[in-house]
Amino acid sequence: MSEHSPFDSAPDAELGTALREALAMPFGETFVNRVRARMRQSPARSWDEELAGWFWQGLAAASLVTVLAGWGLNTVAPADEADTPAQTASVASQLFEGQMPGANVLLASASSTESP
Amino acid sequence: MARRVAYAILEDREDADDAAQEGFLSAWRAIARYDSGKAFRPWLMQIVVNAARDLRRRRRVRAADSLDSVSPASRDDPARTAGAIDLGQRLRTALATLPERQRLAVVLFDAEGYAQAEIAAMLGIPEGTVKSDVFHGRRALRRVLSTVKEEWDE
Repeated sequence: MSEHSPFDSAPDAELGTALREALAMPFGETFVNRVRARMRQSPARSWDEELAGWFWQGLAAASLVTVLAGWGLNTVAPADEADTPAQTASVASQLFEGQMPGANVLLASASSTESP
Repeated sequence: MARRVAYAILEDREDADDAAQEGFLSAWRAIARYDSGKAFRPWLMQIVVNAARDLRRRRRVRAADSLDSVSPASRDDPARTAGAIDLGQRLRTALATLPERQRLAVVLFDAEGYAQAEIAAMLGIPEGTVKSDVFHGRRALRRVLSTVKEEWDE
């Protein structure tokens, strides 16, 4: 260790190992399970996705009122736009289900005891 | 590793787990805004660091933890257990005396292996400041390591 200069630009392996042991956190699996449980309770959509959902719901409701009023504007929401909220909402759900990289990578960082 | 970094900030294992959990949940909620062209781990670690700092602001940090924190590695080698506890405690004590930014810089660089440029981006400080913080943090921690090793050799 004494051969290291404080100015070294490379990590000090010995100090790094000692620090990882000193800061070791027990019960990694318990922690991961706890976070997974919170993720299940947490909303599947983020606030911007939620707002987007409200927008499309609002638009759908307005369209319905318009149609009911006899205005006949049945071209307000094209089919391709109507698909957008479902696609947006599915990002989080796909992530949670492990269909996209992210959730596992996220949680792997919690249980990792190795340096990157 | 996120939990270790949170622990380095909060100096309390329960608080560190709370902060790491909050960080993961924040990352989970913000995952749609993650730029896949950038490295994932520094992005996640920055969120965890922010969560730990937020928690630190909200809570008074409790006293140093007890002896239940012996690492699995030292449990495997009973002959070194006492020394490992001692080294771990002394390192934690030495870390606690460092300013938070120095502590984070040295833990992220030496223990977690992040590049100084990544740490600078994570902490929102210039790279030169990270180098300086690593330098000062290491000096104190290496002194502890040397002392303990000398005691082991006696």
